[in-house]
Amino acid sequence: MTFNDLLKNEYIFLDGAMGTMLQKSGLPLGEMPELLNLTHPELIEDIHRQYIDAGAQVVYANTFGANGYKLEGSGHTASEVIPAAVRNARKAADGRALVALDIGPIGQLMEPSGAMSFDEAYNYFKEEIVAGADADLIIFETFTDLLELKAGVLAAKENSDKPVLATMTFEQNGRTFAGASVASAALTLQGLGVDALGVNCSLGPDELKPIVAELAGISRVPLIVKPNAGLPDPVTNTYDILPDDFAASLRSIAGLGSVKFVGGCCGTTPDYIRALIKSLEGMSFRMNEPKGETAVCSGTTAVEISQPRIIGERINPTGKKLFKQALVNNDIDYILSQAISQVKAGADILDVNVGLPEIDEKEMMVRVVKALQSVVDVPLQIDSTKPDVLDAALRVYNGKPIVNSVNGEEKSLSAVLPLVKKYGASVIGLTLDENGIPKTAEGRFAIAKRIVDRAVEYGISPKDVYIDCLTLTVSAEQDACRETLTALHRVKTELGCKTCLGVSNISFGLPDRELINHIFLTMALEEGLDLPIINPNDELMTGAVRAYKVLSGIDRNASEFIASRTETEPKQTKIQSSHVTLSEAVQNGLKGEARALTEKLLGTKDAMEIVNTELIPALDRVGADFEKNKIFLPQLIQSANTAQVCFEVIKAQLSKGDSSPVSKGKIILATVKGDIHDIGKNIVKVLLDNYGYTVVDLGRDVEPSLIVRTAVEQNIRLIGLSALMTTTLGSMEETIALIRSTPELQAEDGSSRCTVMVGGAVLTPEYAERIGADYYCRDAKESVDTAKKFFGK
Amino acid sequence: MKIPEHISRAETLRCLGNSSVAMNDEMQSLLDSCEEKLLRSLRPKWLYKRLNPSECGLLEGESIREHLSGCGDAVLMCVTLGTETDRLIRSAQVEDMASAVVLDAMASVATEQLCDELEAEIAAKFPEKSLTWRFSPGYGDYPISLQKTFLSLLDAPRRIGLCTNDSSILTPMKSVTAIIGLSDAPVERKRRGCAGCNLNKTCKFRKAGTRCDF
Repeated sequence: MTFNDLLKNEYIFLDGAMGTMLQKSGLPLGEMPELLNLTHPELIEDIHRQYIDAGAQVVYANTFGANGYKLEGSGHTASEVIPAAVRNARKAADGRALVALDIGPIGQLMEPSGAMSFDEAYNYFKEEIVAGADADLIIFETFTDLLELKAGVLAAKENSDKPVLATMTFEQNGRTFAGASVASAALTLQGLGVDALGVNCSLGPDELKPIVAELAGISRVPLIVKPNAGLPDPVTNTYDILPDDFAASLRSIAGLGSVKFVGGCCGTTPDYIRALIKSLEGMSFRMNEPKGETAVCSGTTAVEISQPRIIGERINPTGKKLFKQALVNNDIDYILSQAISQVKAGADILDVNVGLPEIDEKEMMVRVVKALQSVVDVPLQIDSTKPDVLDAALRVYNGKPIVNSVNGEEKSLSAVLPLVKKYGASVIGLTLDENGIPKTAEGRFAIAKRIVDRAVEYGISPKDVYIDCLTLTVSAEQDACRETLTALHRVKTELGCKTCLGVSNISFGLPDRELINHIFLTMALEEGLDLPIINPNDELMTGAVRAYKVLSGIDRNASEFIASRTETEPKQTKIQSSHVTLSEAVQNGLKGEARALTEKLLGTKDAMEIVNTELIPALDRVGADFEKNKIFLPQLIQSANTAQVCFEVIKAQLSKGDSSPVSKGKIILATVKGDIHDIGKNIVKVLLDNYGYTVVDLGRDVEPSLIVRTAVEQNIRLIGLSALMTTTLGSMEETIALIRSTPELQAEDGSSRCTVMVGGAVLTPEYAERIGADYYCRDAKESVDTAKKFFGK
Repeated sequence: MKIPEHISRAETLRCLGNSSVAMNDEMQSLLDSCEEKLLRSLRPKWLYKRLNPSECGLLEGESIREHLSGCGDAVLMCVTLGTETDRLIRSAQVEDMASAVVLDAMASVATEQLCDELEAEIAAKFPEKSLTWRFSPGYGDYPISLQKTFLSLLDAPRRIGLCTNDSSILTPMKSVTAIIGLSDAPVERKRRGCAGCNLNKTCKFRKAGTRCDF
């Protein structure tokens, strides 16, 4: 019997719970159930046999937690436990059922919530998959983190050719613990090419029904439903519904359509499976036609391209001096703040481009994608001309992204489309090829068609190809605008593809560019533009999209439009701005006033003079108040942020000329290896930034070698380290030892050329001294004092 | 069990290190807006389970033995605010560090409030027993590495998505595990006190000449 043979049945019956049966067997609790494969093989085999006798056609080998992380310290490895488990199941199956390698979550949270990286998770899964080579299929179950599940599915696809099934565990609110939505799960998993997807555990069949109903409306692959026997009692952990009720509920779930695989999770026994099989007798499977339009998603949020959606274009260094500087300085927070402001302004999707000749684009793209997904929920559009950059970013992306872009040139098609297929993304198709951009709408339409045809050959749905008919500068070629719009209209109506367009190029070289951009955007929307790529912070452009949605009847009752017009501005402060001096503005955290005053002062005073006679003294006064417990930490930070606004005004002014930016010295900050509590370090960063120091923030959970390498490469002599836990003080000590013993960081007499300051809740001055730190900083303010001492300013 | 509808303002200010400061309008509105955001982010989950600590390998070191002296069984508990709160604090750190500091403090307060609620529920479940206060891995000489054991006994990674990492840091971050002794004889609910506290040299309250009153 093969998986394909099995698919010929109306329904495929899975087994019920392993854990419940083990509990019933009376074995003492506490031992890892997977080890029973080795110690009590006959018991495991018997449980499988009971399920097969009840009618199960697929049994899950007892391998749920048999991964390297959970087995650590057990004296056994996945490569011992898993083959034994598969053997036990195989013996019981004896040709009557298929054996599935059952893979559960690794058991620790992935970045950004936890510390496990994508690659670590992948390697644990790979070990399980290789060890389970004798199974017939691979089933991932009980996942709550979509990205962890993606690592697993990729490990399965890249290390075996078995069918892959994947189920997640949802709560009643339709989300997993990690926040994944039903739509995100379906879009992502079917994109990765699983054979079936669905739900298991956490809830009983009645509670799971609305979730299955949602899946049944959107999934393009068959569904798996494996509920618990009702809800558990919190203390006894027993379940509350009986086999016949369970079976009746599943019968009604099967009636939703698309449900092909059914079984039971916690609390179910062979009796439940028997009842289930009986209840589905006479019913036949049907696959629903997926409803709705093409959609993209992050791990938490799906965006259906059923109406114009704004793609924010600001994460891109082209023509932006500050952004380039941020990339060179590894200032991820700057990029994140660009993302947050675009989302607040109304972006539905964010384009991400970090291509700059002087940086490692691949490494930076992966870092930025991970960082963005840790703070914003919108889907991302991965923008690079390099296939290896796209590949790396698509791998770690949580959800279904857009790839920007492919074009009609064969070299591009054959490099980019396989990636789009493998990772289940959507793709932007640019209507140009080796001969450039065709002048006519006809020519561009032909390329669009070629791109769509090739995409289909690679197994990509035409719905997932978004065609960009390219905006040309109207001041250079006045008739080109009409050609673009005609091509757009034809692509939309004849190819049935969604369309996108970068808008602002249109007005290059003309006065009053905003006006031209705005009208062009409106014309394009009317021709069927779905995805305008714009600066969402430009209220006129975002407003045009919102107004269009009202006028074309998309925004019913104009409710979104009205909401966007009435969003309350942050409460304005009562202090009369006309009487405020710059230092008062800083002390009171009045950003708007501080900005205006700085701009005014720059007309009469030298930049450094403003910094030294106004900003720094004001910050010092606030710092002193904080030390005397006259103000709270958030107030100190607000003042510091206000000073930062002033510094930015000054920096922007200086970067117009050739003078170097204001910096009083470079400092490395890092939260040590193993520690992921980094809020303290981030507070220190904000303050140091605002006092005019340049901070190279290496983040959290940082390898000692990276800190040393950065200090050597960038010639940095002051290093700040934080650790919050007693368990991670050891890695602080190791880091300092490595700094001290690195020859490049030693003076000729062997003494250290680096100064190390340390901080963190569990640290004491004595301990800091013992592990070789130069300064112990009690709080963020003291780290600024230390920097002042070190740099002498 | 009741999910907190308010975050104690007094506790938040104490967490921020200073309750003697005169409040101004800006600080007030910062606190208000943070409370609203925080409450919206909460996806609290909890578990508890009665067991015999000596049979489950939970009696390591002197502190826990002393804490549980006179108790036969104990209740193991855990609570978490969920990943959404972590995400909120993370994104606030990029957008506005002042809010992040307030949110972080409020989230810690919310975690304690949730623990108090859960403790009350446990007390009601075992009316014939007297309860010790909540004792957590990391207190006194009780090894913090027991987090993994606590979580696996509660099946917390699977049931509520609460995990730990190699450094015994709980994830989601705003989470607590604890053990409460069940005694037939009345238990003196003495304060934990500064002597047994791991922060007794560095604590901001002691530096300011006060105590956290835990």
